[in-house]
Amino acid sequence: MSTLAVDQAASQSRRKNRKSRMAGIVPAIIVGIPLALFVLFPLTHILGRSFSTPDGYGLANYAAMLGNERFLRITWNSFAVTIVTTILAIVFAYTFAYAIQRSTMPFRNLFRLIAVLPLFAPSLVQAQGLVLLFGRNGIINRTFDLGIDLYGYWGIVIASVLYVFPYAFLILSAALAVADARIYESAEMLGASKWRAFRTVTLPATRYGLAAAIFVCFTLVITDFGNPMVIGGDYTVLASEVYNQVIGQANFEMGTVIGMVLLIPAAIAAIVEKRVSAKQYALISEHSKPLVPQQDRMRDRFLLAAALLISLAILLIVAVVVFASFVHLWPYRMNFSLRHYAFDVQNGIQPLWNSIYISVMAAGIGVVVVTAAAYVIEKFPSPATRALYFLSILPAAVPGMVLGLGYILAFNNPMNPVYAIYGTLFIIAIANVYYYHAHGFLISGTSMKQISGRFDEASATLGGSRLQTFTKVTLPLLFPTLVGIAVFFFMRSMVTLSAVIFLITPNTQVAAVSVLYLQDRGATNQAAAFSVCIIATIMVVLLAVRLLLNATGHKNVSLIR
Amino acid sequence: MALALSHVTKRFGSTIALNDISLTVERGEFICFLGPSGCGKTTLLRIIAGLELAEEGTVMLEGRDLSETPARHRNFGVVFQSYSLFPNMTALRNIGYGLECRRKPRAEIDARAAEMLKLVELSEHGNKLPSQLSGGQQQRIALARALATDPEVLLLDEPLSALDAKVRESLRLEIREVQKRLGITTIMVTHDQEEALTMADRIVVMDTGTIAQLGTARELYEQPTSRFVAEFIGRMNILPVENNLFAGQQLALPSDKQGATMIGIRPEDVRIHAGAAPSDPGLIPVKLRNTIYLGHLAHLVLDVGDSGKEIVAEIPGHACKAIVDAPHLAIEMRPETIKVLQ
Ligand SMILES: Nc1ncnc2c1ncn2[C@@H]1O[C@H](COP(=O)(O)OP(=O)(O)OP(=O)(O)O)[C@@H](O)[C@H]1O
Ligand SMILES: [Mg+2]
Repeated sequence: MSTLAVDQAASQSRRKNRKSRMAGIVPAIIVGIPLALFVLFPLTHILGRSFSTPDGYGLANYAAMLGNERFLRITWNSFAVTIVTTILAIVFAYTFAYAIQRSTMPFRNLFRLIAVLPLFAPSLVQAQGLVLLFGRNGIINRTFDLGIDLYGYWGIVIASVLYVFPYAFLILSAALAVADARIYESAEMLGASKWRAFRTVTLPATRYGLAAAIFVCFTLVITDFGNPMVIGGDYTVLASEVYNQVIGQANFEMGTVIGMVLLIPAAIAAIVEKRVSAKQYALISEHSKPLVPQQDRMRDRFLLAAALLISLAILLIVAVVVFASFVHLWPYRMNFSLRHYAFDVQNGIQPLWNSIYISVMAAGIGVVVVTAAAYVIEKFPSPATRALYFLSILPAAVPGMVLGLGYILAFNNPMNPVYAIYGTLFIIAIANVYYYHAHGFLISGTSMKQISGRFDEASATLGGSRLQTFTKVTLPLLFPTLVGIAVFFFMRSMVTLSAVIFLITPNTQVAAVSVLYLQDRGATNQAAAFSVCIIATIMVVLLAVRLLLNATGHKNVSLIR
Repeated sequence: MALALSHVTKRFGSTIALNDISLTVERGEFICFLGPSGCGKTTLLRIIAGLELAEEGTVMLEGRDLSETPARHRNFGVVFQSYSLFPNMTALRNIGYGLECRRKPRAEIDARAAEMLKLVELSEHGNKLPSQLSGGQQQRIALARALATDPEVLLLDEPLSALDAKVRESLRLEIREVQKRLGITTIMVTHDQEEALTMADRIVVMDTGTIAQLGTARELYEQPTSRFVAEFIGRMNILPVENNLFAGQQLALPSDKQGATMIGIRPEDVRIHAGAAPSDPGLIPVKLRNTIYLGHLAHLVLDVGDSGKEIVAEIPGHACKAIVDAPHLAIEMRPETIKVLQ
């Protein structure tokens, strides 16, 4: 063959190479546009609004804030709550996870279920339970007249510890689940004591999981406003202050400035967490030998006691809420009554239906959106891949309230095409999809990576098109994961407050917000009944999905993430 | 000429995986790519399959340029090293997959899949999932799947390397038999020389992205052109030569091999003379350092005079005793058995 022909062929194939990379941009853009619209665009509005003053753009809002003694105190409050809560939650969650993964104590599966139970309830259920127990009209104060005053700092801390406990537990449990027995055996051979082995082997091996758990707790607490609203009394934190500014005083500028202040620590925490959690996988090599916990009477007894105490606290809260929903008037007339399930106030039971409708939509849309993002990033490498990845995990750094506020500012404007769905249940579902996008995307991406690229190649050599490969091979293999992601979106959408609080209208009220409003009005029994309905809905759905998965032969899929 | 590669070059960043490879494969031929790990065998196979793009060079099939043809339109059957059966499909569905993608009628797909299943003698396992099949069975299904669409070329990337020795040997025969029966042009990658020698019509020995030598098993064994090939296929004593002298002894090199700087001789070509007078012309005196007795054979490790050089000779096992007891030993290297290497 002549040199010319070879040169031609070479430049042809180079061109083709470039062409295929450029072709990848099209799907990246298709997937990226909604992400930009529903994540980036609202955030730019938050940023813009926080700088907008009566005399044009400037730092005046920030200056006013920093010069304000009350604001500095609230900021201090937020950090005081968040740091103490995080430390306590991590200690408890680590102990609990350790007991489940590394001891031989009985009923470990039952304990695992109890630990994740709070995930089935609206995020303020902890405060709700605490108020029923220790509040002004709580059963303890009424019965024993102890004069316990829980409202304020410690109320928020206790409620928040219980709130973030399951999240920390899930992360730490995963970190403790993987262990290389050989390392422990060699530590023992070298004469290390149990405590020493724990300090020098276990703790360092789980340091990434620990870091991830710390950051997740930190973000959840500093951006949570349901619990402080219910049990905070006069003790105001940043998240509840955003609510007060926006809903109470319609002061969007101040709301956005505080939102920005919340965004910064949450963003830092999210970035560090993503960096750190990527390293967890490298710790276990293929030659590792799984660790089988050995019996140790003393240790197991101690861990059992700790697990029992923690479980008791969790169960007590939920049990009290369930119980209160079934009595005539807590805590005065404790006879059985179904009257709180009549839902004869306000919109009646409609908010629960709204929630279910929204959650089903969020589950359906969420699965498609995160899977599309993961698929495009994995299979269509292009110059836009990095940007798309960034957009996909960006929501992890955005507090729900900030995103919701961004939606008001960005879309509550007849000039914006999205205005057509503003004030509908649909936009609330969309808000949930994008608020939880990062987590769903990472689950989807991880399992897509585990599906060997070999299958794509085998399919291609057999004549399969991309679409055929996707529908006949990738999708069936991904199916159990997709079900897990759908359940994840459903569960979170059922219980979340923060992402939706600014988006609801009287007609699009959701169940979790109803709980908050009823609680706020002192209708604690009815609030409890609403919470129970949410918990029951989630449990029924989980059970149904579990049965479906078992029936289709996918027994080893974890549904709770 | 079925398949022709010309000037194929491929880089991964700064590493040159393939450097200017040209090669033609005859119709119905069985070719093996043989070489050490990382020499570019897989990359070359993947370029032929269309799974990888060459930076330079062309791949032609029956005179057609394939550069613009993506893998799925090439109709080449590919069997990968392992784990490439679709785990969500039964053996039969795996085999029928290629026809399914071509939207053939159901009845035709089923008939063809059953036929292919019979070809690899797994008829009773058609409804099992890959996870319920042994490694050898999985690879046979993969072979059946690759052949089901009547491919023009069959490409195999170390299809047997994940299997144990027994299964490997029987599958070698099976693959070769099926290949001959269908008369399909086949390229197989391997780093196992025995596999290449027993299966291939011709072998392409590769060394860091280039073709070191191409030939039949016999040609490669008897006339290696380089030290690399000589050592890679069988065993070879490599001896430095200066002015036709080795270890101070004049070598009787044929006229076309005068002036060589490196020669090779196979252990079985080294003749041992026990008890001969050291001064005999053409004989090189040696001392026995070590005997490796293998039953039917024995390897003798010999020191050549005081030169510090060693040479390995292979003798029948029963001849071992006489040699070990001999007072003097010498070796003879016949000119026709000496290979000149670069
Ligand atoms: N996708 C890739 N990215 C970067 N380098 C690669 C890639 N694939 C192969 N290489 C490099 O190209 C060279 C040839 O690789 P190739 O896989 O073709 O070797 P091989 O002969 O098949 O080896 P083995 O016998 O180990 O399978 C190696 O140096 C390898 O590191
Ligand atoms: Mg290879």
